Amino acid sequence: MKVFFVIVFITGVFIVVFGSPVAKEKPVRDHYYGSPEPILPMSFAHLDHLTENCILCHHNYADDTGGALCMNCHVTDPQVWPLLERQYHDLCRGCHEEKAAQGVDGGPPRECMACHLGDDLP
Amino acid sequence: MRVLLASFAAVFLLTFIANPTRGAGWFWDAGNALGFAAFAGLLHLTMTSNGRLDVRAHQSLGYGVLFVALAHVFWFMLGDGAIIEFLKVGAPDYMWHGIVSCILLGYIITVALVPDRFKVHRDYASFRYWHRVLAVITIGTATYHIVVSNFYLGIWYQGVLFAGLAGAVAFGRSFRAKLGQLPVVGIGMYMAVSLVFAAAFTVARNLPA
Repeated sequence: MKVFFVIVFITGVFIVVFGSPVAKEKPVRDHYYGSPEPILPMSFAHLDHLTENCILCHHNYADDTGGALCMNCHVTDPQVWPLLERQYHDLCRGCHEEKAAQGVDGGPPRECMACHLGDDLP
Repeated sequence: MRVLLASFAAVFLLTFIANPTRGAGWFWDAGNALGFAAFAGLLHLTMTSNGRLDVRAHQSLGYGVLFVALAHVFWFMLGDGAIIEFLKVGAPDYMWHGIVSCILLGYIITVALVPDRFKVHRDYASFRYWHRVLAVITIGTATYHIVVSNFYLGIWYQGVLFAGLAGAVAFGRSFRAKLGQLPVVGIGMYMAVSLVFAAAFTVARNLPA
């Protein structure tokens, strides 16, 4: 039994290092959107969010911090980009979770691959 | 059997006292149901560890709980190509707590019986002390992993009640002693109950609105 669990542990380490051998899609870390360090790709479809208030995400339209797109600051500004993962998870996933709690289909609340595949959508 | 069912019922019902239909898709809900089943197994192992313990049955069920915990881990690692990013340096601390919990569980099971025990502990008293301490840390880290990951226990009082349940089992030795030696269920029964509760949890979370 000990040998079995040692093999399982080593297998787990291999999967963490080299990725799942059975997952259909695997994200590739890279310098997306000009990020200083490799990050996961992200997908976002404006068309799926037309019913939301723009300022919910585009805070810079209201707080006078410029007119740039999200990625312009959030992956390139040296002070902001280290917070990228937490801020985007809080905003995107937090909103999806709220919708899920209301019983509304409001986007994926947890599945990583639902958001971490890159796309060319505006 | 009653203690096992009580452990499962307490763990799973706490996830349903608020937002009972909140789900994240069958894949995610099924994987997390396995995690809750492993946690219920941990509580059962602790509740039944008083008095004249059948150590072989206790260890055998421990392996069962570890197997279900690893099924929870591998379910996600194999099925979602991005989740391994949450198992690397920089991952949220609640994920590290989950990893530590699994490793500790494996450790306390494998060195629990002779001859392996003699390689680590000089005497029985030392073994008992460290086995209890590490078991409490295992439950504590698993509780942190579940509560702070904050999906099925999204309302504050669910987290408080869940942590209270774990704390009462982990630290309630004097209360457990009054209950006497409760029987440890077999690994087959534990697996069957795990499957039933996991299936019910997954179906309930994915019923069409």
